[in-house]
Amino acid sequence: MSRIISYGKAINEALHQEMERDDSVFILGEDVAKMGGDFGITQGIWHRWPHRAKDTALSEQAIIGLANGAAICGLRPVPEIMFADFITCCYDQLVNNAAKLNFMYNGKAHCPITVRTVQGAGIRCAYHHSQNVEAWLMNVPGLVIVMPTTPYEAKGLLISSIRNNNPVVFLEHKLLYNTKGEVPEEPYTIDLYKAEIEREGKDITIVATQTALKLAHEAAAIMEKEGVSVEIIDPRTIMPLDKETIINSVAKTGRLIIAHEGPKFGGFGAEISAIISEHVWEYLRAPIMRVTSLDVPVAFAPVMEDYVLPKTEHVVKACREVMEY
Amino acid sequence: MALSKERLLKLYEDMFLIRRFEEEVEVYAKNGTIPGFVHLSIGQEAAQAGIIDCLRKTDYKFPDHRGHGAIALCGTDKKRVMAEIFAKATGINGGRGGSMHVHDLEVRNMGFNGIQGSTVVTCLGTAFASQYRGTDDVTVVFLGDGTLGEGTCHESLNMAATWKLPIIYCLLNNQYAISTHYTEAHPQQQLSTWAKGYEVPSETVDGNDVEAVVEATERAIERARKGEGPTFIEFMTYRWQGHFAGDPAAYRPDDEVKEWIENRDPIKLLKEKLISREGCSEEELQKIEAKANEEIAEMVKFCLESPDPVAEDALKNVYADREVEDR
Ligand SMILES: Cc1ncc(C[n+]2csc(CCOP(=O)(O)OP(=O)(O)O)c2C)c(N)n1
Ligand SMILES: [Mg+2]
Repeated sequence: MSRIISYGKAINEALHQEMERDDSVFILGEDVAKMGGDFGITQGIWHRWPHRAKDTALSEQAIIGLANGAAICGLRPVPEIMFADFITCCYDQLVNNAAKLNFMYNGKAHCPITVRTVQGAGIRCAYHHSQNVEAWLMNVPGLVIVMPTTPYEAKGLLISSIRNNNPVVFLEHKLLYNTKGEVPEEPYTIDLYKAEIEREGKDITIVATQTALKLAHEAAAIMEKEGVSVEIIDPRTIMPLDKETIINSVAKTGRLIIAHEGPKFGGFGAEISAIISEHVWEYLRAPIMRVTSLDVPVAFAPVMEDYVLPKTEHVVKACREVMEY
Repeated sequence: MALSKERLLKLYEDMFLIRRFEEEVEVYAKNGTIPGFVHLSIGQEAAQAGIIDCLRKTDYKFPDHRGHGAIALCGTDKKRVMAEIFAKATGINGGRGGSMHVHDLEVRNMGFNGIQGSTVVTCLGTAFASQYRGTDDVTVVFLGDGTLGEGTCHESLNMAATWKLPIIYCLLNNQYAISTHYTEAHPQQQLSTWAKGYEVPSETVDGNDVEAVVEATERAIERARKGEGPTFIEFMTYRWQGHFAGDPAAYRPDDEVKEWIENRDPIKLLKEKLISREGCSEEELQKIEAKANEEIAEMVKFCLESPDPVAEDALKNVYADREVEDR
C-alpha cells in the first residue's frame, strides 16, 4: 500500500526495514542513536535495536574506518556523516580504503557500506555546511554515488544501496527532507544503475539532479507553453552512470542541458557533456549547456547565497538559447 | 592569588555584556531575523571572558563555534560582530560568514572554521610563525569536549609538544557534544588527563569561576611566552541552551540543567564574590549592567538598521589576484 510521506521519513523507514530484515545491518555516527540524528533521520532505531545503533565521538575517520573493517567481516554498516562537507575528514577512508577494497582483495572481500550524508545549500549556513560534494568523489573508481530526489527514490535506492556489495555514498539533500510523495509501505528496491526518464519530450533533454530537478520541471512547464517539448532525466546514481538512457535521449532530441546545484567547473555536468560529445556529437543541433552554481564558496547572507545558486529562469534561458541556436 | 577588584569589575562587565549579547542573538534567531543557526554560549561566560582577558591584541585567537562571546571581547567593534551574525553588509566579514565565521585579523581573531577540529591544527601555524619570527605572541585555541574526538587534536598536541609551540589549548568541557555526553565519547573522566600522553602540562579548572580561569590561563601563557611549549586546560562548564538556538535539548536531565543555572551561574558567582569579598554595592554593579544594556540596545539597533549585503559581492575574494566569472 502506498501513502504520502516525506523524503526524510522514507529514508527512516528504509533503515528500519533493512535493520529488521538483516541483522548484519547497523548504524553509527554522531548523535545517530539516542537522539536519532541531527536531522532526525535515524529516529527510533536505537530504541528498537540499542546494540545496533552507536553514537560516536566527533571522529569521521574512525567512523568510516570502523565501517570498512566491519564490512570486510561481513557486516553491513550504514554510517552517517552529519554534513557532507565533513567527508573531507574521512576522505582517506573513502578514497583509499572503501573505494579500493574490492580491488585490493581481488574480489575475495567486498565493502558493502552505505555512507549516508546530507549535502546542499539553501539553509543559510555558509560555506562549510552547504556544499554539494558529488564531484569530490566522481574521480574515484570503485565508489557508487547515489543522489535520491523523491521520497520514492529515497526509500528504494537506500534499500538497494544497503543490499549492494559496493561502497555507496548516499547523498541526501537537506532541502528535500520535508518534501512529500507517494511511497509504498512495504520494502522495495530500485535498480541502482538505471536512470529515470521523469518526463518525455522531443526537443531538449535536461539531465538534472536533486534540487535542480525541480528547476527543470518548472522550466519544462514554461517551455511547453512556448511549444517546446522537454525530456527530463534523473540519473539517480551518478556513478556508475546509466549512459545509455542519456545517450538515447540526446540522440532523439539533439539538445542537452545539464543542471545541478554544485559548482560548474569539474562538476557532474562536465562529465555528461563529455560523454555525449564522445558518443553522439553528430546528433547535436546546439551546444551543450550547463546550469549550475557559480564557481564560488557558498556565502552566508541570504541575498548572496541566492545569487550563486541556479534558478528556474537560468534553465529557461538555456532552453531558449539551445532552441534558437 | 586573588584578582584585584578592578580586574574583577572589568570581567563582570565583560561577562554581563556577552550574556546580554547572546540573549539578543537568541531572540532574533528564534524570530527568524537572523538566518541559519547559531550556537549560544550562555553559561560559559567566565571561560570566554577570562581567557580573552589574559591575552594581548597580538596574540592569536581561535574561537570555536560557540564563540560569539569571546569574539566580541577580542577588541573588535562589537556591533559589527553582531551585524555579521545578522547577515548584514556592516558585519565584520560583510555578511559572507555569519555566526560560525566571524574573523577579524586586525585583532588576530582568526575565526572559527565550520569543520570541527580544523582550527586545532591551523593554530600550529600561527604558533610556529611566532616561534619562527622570535616574537613572544602566543596562540589560544578553543575547542569542545566533543571536538576532542577528532584525529587532528592528537596530531596537533603531538607536534606542538615536540616542537614546544606556544599554544594554549582551551577545552571548554560543557559536557555535551550535541546529545552525546563526554563520558560516552571518551574513556577519561577528566579530559585534561588526555594531554598527559603527550607530556603536555594540563589541568582541569572550574570554568565558571572566572578567577580560576584567569589564573590557569595566565600560568599557561607565561610558560608559552617563555618558550616552554603548550599547555592544555580543561574548563568545566555548561551551556544553558540546546546545541543551537531552538534545540529543545531533550537529551539532558532537567535537574542537571537546573543545578547549573541556579547554583553555578558564572555571573551570579562573580557578583556574590564582588559583594561579599570586595565590598561592592548592588548599585555599583547595577550601573555596570545598565551601561551594558545600553550598549547592547545600540548594537541591536545598528544591526536592524544596517543594509543587506550586495548580492554580487558573493563573488569577491575567491582568489587573491583575479575575479570569478559571473553568469
Ligand atoms: C568535522 C565535523 N564533524 C561534525 C560537526 C558537527 N558538529 C558541530 S558542533 C558539534 C558538537 C561539538 O561538540 P563540542 O566540541 O563539545 O562543542 P559544544 O557544541 O559542546 O560547544 C558537532 C557534532 C562539524 N561541524 N564538523
Ligand atoms: Mg561540548
